[in-house]
Amino acid sequence: MTPLERAEARFGWKLVAPTIAILGLLILYPLMYNVYLSFFDVQLNGSKTFVGIENYIKLLSNSDYYSAIATTSLYLLGTVVGTTLLGLAMALLLRDPFMGRGLVNAAIMLPYVAPVISVVFGWQFLFDPISGVVNYLFVDLLGLWSERSNLIGDPDSALWVVVLFDIWKHAPIAYLLILSKLVSISRDQYEAAAIDGYGPIGRFFHVTLPELYFVLATVVLLRLIWNLNRFEDVYLLAPNVETLPIFTYYQAFTGVIDQGLAAATSVIQLGVLSIFIWFYIKKIMKW
Amino acid sequence: MLGKKNIKGRIGFAIAILLLVSFSLLPFAQILSTSLKHQYDWGNPSLIPQSINLDAYKELLGLTEAEKVEIPAAIQKILNNPKLSAEKKQAIAAKYTANDNLFPFGKYMLNSVIFSVGAASFSLVFSVMGAYSISRLRFKGQVVIQRSVLFVYMVGGVLLMVPLYQMAMNVGLASSLWGSAFCLFLIYIVQTLPVGMYMLGNYFRGIPFALEEAAMMDGCSRKEAIIKVVLPLSLPMLATVFIYCFIIGWNEYLFASVFLKQYPEFHTLPLALQELFVSKNAIWDRIMAASMLTLAPIVICFLLASRFMKGGKTDGGVKE
Amino acid sequence: MAAIKLKNIVKSFGDTAVVKGIDLSIEDGEFVVLVGPSGCGKSTTLRMIAGLEQATSGDIVIGERVVNDIEPQHRNIAMVFQNYALYPHKSVRENIIFALRRLKVDNADIERRLAEVSEMLQLEELLDRKPADLSGGQRQRVAMGRAIIREADLFLFDEPLSNLDSKLRSHMRTEIGKIHNKFGRTSVYVTHDQVEAMTLADKVVVLHDGYIAQAGTPMEVYLNPANVFVAQFIGSPSMNIIEGTLFNDYLLVDNYRLPRKQLSNVALQTVIDQQGIPVKVGIRPDFFNDSRLFPETDNTFNFTGLQIDLIEPMGFDKEVLFNLAGEAVKARLDLRSELQRDQQIDLVVELSRVLLFDSETDQRL
Repeated sequence: MTPLERAEARFGWKLVAPTIAILGLLILYPLMYNVYLSFFDVQLNGSKTFVGIENYIKLLSNSDYYSAIATTSLYLLGTVVGTTLLGLAMALLLRDPFMGRGLVNAAIMLPYVAPVISVVFGWQFLFDPISGVVNYLFVDLLGLWSERSNLIGDPDSALWVVVLFDIWKHAPIAYLLILSKLVSISRDQYEAAAIDGYGPIGRFFHVTLPELYFVLATVVLLRLIWNLNRFEDVYLLAPNVETLPIFTYYQAFTGVIDQGLAAATSVIQLGVLSIFIWFYIKKIMKW
Repeated sequence: MLGKKNIKGRIGFAIAILLLVSFSLLPFAQILSTSLKHQYDWGNPSLIPQSINLDAYKELLGLTEAEKVEIPAAIQKILNNPKLSAEKKQAIAAKYTANDNLFPFGKYMLNSVIFSVGAASFSLVFSVMGAYSISRLRFKGQVVIQRSVLFVYMVGGVLLMVPLYQMAMNVGLASSLWGSAFCLFLIYIVQTLPVGMYMLGNYFRGIPFALEEAAMMDGCSRKEAIIKVVLPLSLPMLATVFIYCFIIGWNEYLFASVFLKQYPEFHTLPLALQELFVSKNAIWDRIMAASMLTLAPIVICFLLASRFMKGGKTDGGVKE
Repeated sequence: MAAIKLKNIVKSFGDTAVVKGIDLSIEDGEFVVLVGPSGCGKSTTLRMIAGLEQATSGDIVIGERVVNDIEPQHRNIAMVFQNYALYPHKSVRENIIFALRRLKVDNADIERRLAEVSEMLQLEELLDRKPADLSGGQRQRVAMGRAIIREADLFLFDEPLSNLDSKLRSHMRTEIGKIHNKFGRTSVYVTHDQVEAMTLADKVVVLHDGYIAQAGTPMEVYLNPANVFVAQFIGSPSMNIIEGTLFNDYLLVDNYRLPRKQLSNVALQTVIDQQGIPVKVGIRPDFFNDSRLFPETDNTFNFTGLQIDLIEPMGFDKEVLFNLAGEAVKARLDLRSELQRDQQIDLVVELSRVLLFDSETDQRL
């Protein structure tokens, strides 16, 4: 290396040093410390007793853990499929310019940027058994249900409310990703397909979908990664829907506090998450 | 695309757009509507209030006069008893005049602003430095750092809450008010820094290298080239990143609840709203008004950010 | 003002060597053009002179200084970039005077120099505009202005005209020539366009695959190319290369026997045995003449009875294609030669213009 190249490298390290320090100290180190904690019985006040793999044994024999895994799986399935399909539909609908597209765009992006804490109250009111519009619509107006019900109060139905909420909130980001790819498909391809005798549906399956394959995979993977960690959106809307993050939170900070157990849950979850992230970095980012 | 839509197609398109926009906006409309309704109007499914009720907003924004609470006559008699010491009298009076309905919205908002603006500022500075380094400078280890940032970007807060809390406990920060606030502040920086690095890194890569080289030929050092050329060109993106980081802090609930739950005077808006919701003072119009006021800054920021986003400024400087 | 010396410069990116050992002296005030196909290392060489890249080994000397470890901003060099690299957020005026502001030149001086430069490049009307509002040609002039106003020791040009359309390009080429004549500063100019190289250069340096293939005046490289690469790269249309065999008395090309002793001025003077030696024969299309217009002399050779395969009229010129020793060979004739396809024609060539190259090494014999 020449002196100038060395100077450049030094400058590079200097600039990135604060970032490395902060991220290392407050993310990478805690992740490792978490593994360490998972072998201890940890109290809220910080006192620890070594218990070996007892936390893991407790966890794996806890039926609530398995039900949290099942809830999480349903949650992931529902949100990934819903978000991707709605995002795709939105992108197809809004691809071509029309009067007022900017306004429509702003409107549909709003759920994505709005604070969870605010919008959950709107949702709770919508699903309120007495005053909510949803019950009014399905019971009084359409007569589909025989009586008003508390959809958020019952964990089974609340799961689907939470899924719908997530789709509402995150379809916009799927829409943006898909749209940016969609508008880059050249017109020529559609014209060629049209000349070859394909109608709109044929063009969708033979031109659009193959081009979108990659971006759809990206959307699915990103949804999996983000939603596996999703806490606020679920907890604040329906605290009775116990996905893994909520389960961990309850273990760590409420009721009979068992932070060691919570650490063990996080370790396993990090393992699964790492697989998704690895996949994303390798296959999508192609690094 | 191919072929113009016929009338039927256009109507279908309009309906689809209408449905989509309604679906997106309905919860917001509901919040706004309920915040403006009188209590007797809540059960009415119409979104338009029968009459506008601004009390909730007035109360939250501190526009109402502190309500003079009437002290019951019987109590008044006791207070008039000259045998009672002045101190005791005051204590009794306070008990009856105490307005524990009060929700100090302004204070919570200020807390939220301090945390999210502060963290976003630090994050922005560090991420400008870091992102420039990993996207523009050549040195060994760059790729590893780049990947680590991406990895860290995707690790959620849920996985960190236990170890971070325990670390704060170990160094003795979690047991004091200011220590907890400091921890939360650091955590907000950490939560936003990878996002900033990621967004800015991609943006810097898009700025033609030749511009910096031209600055260096014009006699600038690397640092001057960054300050005089790269940063002015990145202003819209810097604003966007700042707003994005601000939004993350503004919306955060998990760590605020872990670190600040026991310190009500430092509650941020999400924490305070949740506490309000589960407390006995939960009244829909007040909650909705508070939600509305929490939303408002974000919506404004978002509209600003989307304006900024459009102004791509590098076109013209370099021919592609 | 400065002379430049490159001493055995090598540049590798990882395992790939781009510049493989270049020695070059550029005199004070000289206009040197580095020319070659893409990937030959010409831009990298220029960027090493600028200091934007560091040489892997070798020394770069500007004036009296070895500049290897001197940062670009301290080399006192002005540069015009291929994509202009104007600062998009600054007006034309600010773009041009940016360097002067940094150098703390006083305001009156800045104004005087700005007026001078903008008059020379006709930028007066544009000074308050932003680069985004300029046409390609205008941006190019701003980039030139930004370099000229510096009055730097050294001017570097990195393919400055490659983004302009052909009409504007030839206009700006003339302008650059004029500016150099006026200021007489040492200039290094990189291009892949041999016309720019021929018209602008005091010295043309042809680069090929990381090495200097030949350096010389434009006419030297045109008339006396050192190897097949230079012969074909310089000149348009490019030189015809035909297989031939050299015998002691004559050069055999197809069925034609060209007398050896009048052949090109670098001819090989040894005795050649019976079988002869295979050579590559180079003849520029411009050196073929219609025998009806140019009478045969002692110093010329007449290729008789050539069958015309194709005629490409260009206006004043026409390019005529025929077959010689299995190669499609081109000749450039002017409009006086009236021809038709499939017709036969006799073409004369001055023997001293026929060049011989080694069939193995491609070097000139």
